Amino acid sequence: MKKIIVEGLKYKYPLADSLALNDVTFDIKQGEFIGIIGKNLAGKSTLCQALVGLVPHFYKGAYGGKVIVDGLEVKNHSIADLSLKVGMVFQNPFTQVTGSKTTVYEEIAFGLENIGIPRTEIIERIDSVLDLLNIEQVKDHNPFDLSGGQMQRMAIASIIAMKPDILVLDEPTSQLDPAGSEEVFQAIQSLSKQGITVILAEHKMEKIAQYCDRVLLLNNGKVVDFDTPGKIFSREDLEGYGLTAPVYTRVCKALGVKKAGTDEYPVTLEEAERVLRGDGA
Amino acid sequence: MKSISLYEEKASFVHDVDPITKLWYIPFAILIPIILPSFTISFLFIGLSLVLLLGAKVIRKTIPVFGFVFLILITVVLIQGMFKPENETVLFQIGPLTMYKEGLLFALTITLRVINIICAFMILVLTTKPSDLVEALVRKGMSPRIGYVIVSVFQIIPEMMATMSTITDAQRARGMETEGKLLVRIKAFIPLLGPVVLGSLINTKERAMALEVRGFNSQAPKTYLYEEKTYQFSKVLQIGMLLLTMAAVSWRIFL
Repeated sequence: MKKIIVEGLKYKYPLADSLALNDVTFDIKQGEFIGIIGKNLAGKSTLCQALVGLVPHFYKGAYGGKVIVDGLEVKNHSIADLSLKVGMVFQNPFTQVTGSKTTVYEEIAFGLENIGIPRTEIIERIDSVLDLLNIEQVKDHNPFDLSGGQMQRMAIASIIAMKPDILVLDEPTSQLDPAGSEEVFQAIQSLSKQGITVILAEHKMEKIAQYCDRVLLLNNGKVVDFDTPGKIFSREDLEGYGLTAPVYTRVCKALGVKKAGTDEYPVTLEEAERVLRGDGA
Repeated sequence: MKSISLYEEKASFVHDVDPITKLWYIPFAILIPIILPSFTISFLFIGLSLVLLLGAKVIRKTIPVFGFVFLILITVVLIQGMFKPENETVLFQIGPLTMYKEGLLFALTITLRVINIICAFMILVLTTKPSDLVEALVRKGMSPRIGYVIVSVFQIIPEMMATMSTITDAQRARGMETEGKLLVRIKAFIPLLGPVVLGSLINTKERAMALEVRGFNSQAPKTYLYEEKTYQFSKVLQIGMLLLTMAAVSWRIFL
């Protein structure tokens, strides 16, 4: 079942001279884990915001084409309606703190109160996301007193608690250390396995290669390619788009070893190990 | 984090009273001495408020507030005592300055009223968490948007101040003079404003987006994490205050 359909999406920010998104077309099935990659200003954040309705409702600007999210056409529905289906986590965890709550626990409750979840369920959901993102120990702290990493986890928890069918994450691990990002990715993956559709814009290519089912490669607001991590990272022109493949892929490329029976280079540690040990060859 | 709210968390019977009842107490305590303008009633209400503040164990927090207010009240006493047009009866003289009875009595009325108003507000402000008060009001039908604005100010302002000190440090690290004479300090203040104001505007935009995706504008009826704070005697107190006010009004009209 197609969860998200984007057709010929064009978008220009007010006062901008060029299109931020130019004729973007793709579709995503339910439960897929999608990575969005591209250099800075390629349109990753804009695309993420187009899926939750911030583009065009929040910014206005020139909009063309169609985005259908879980049967709702974004152009014709308010952000509040869409927020019940799609949750979005932004890059900067600091500005995602509402400022109206004095503890992490209350902060996570904010969205749930707004959409009218009954009290007992609010408490259940908060307890489960605190556990999922491993921030139970700071639940009574003031949100502004948290470290960047804890704040980022809290931001993700606040959205996950709203139980959206689709989760859009815009560089959700920028403030986290390697162990922390791994934990967050594992948490997101476990949600993905429960059937939630995940769309993730990220610069950490190793993580994209490891977790994503498909990768959308953007450049200057256009879709260059939308395929499996293996195919995307095996592209010869990747550097032309300002990207580098995962380190495993680069090593295997330098050694000239491809996955057996395919034209792709390995993209994860496991694949590279298998190929280099000669098990798969 | 530093808070700009005066609320003090303590366990007392005043803290247990729900915010709406405390809110009702303010017009009650202000109106009655105006309806029944006698010094006895004014003293009675100030006494009552002070007893409540003592009971709430927050009386120490009121000292700086009163300190500030007394400064203004002293000028009221001096000016009214010396220059009120109705002044006739000389009370005493200090050198060339003459104090009159009429003016001083009038100044006393003002002073009592001001102290009374301040005491009544302090009971609410010092013993009620701002977010509890706003939540109670939102439950009563106030717009959650206005509620958000009021509550968030208490956290966003200290955040802006923290940002400001970070920027000051950054500029000091690049060799700017920020300490010393007044002129130096003023000069150091100007380049701070740009980054702080612009930064806040950008933050506000991002925060607005984050609020949107968390259903801030949702039409669904709002629910609350905490159960409504109720106080067993709140109805009694509210009705009691209303009856007393009505009694005072009829006393004034019919007697």
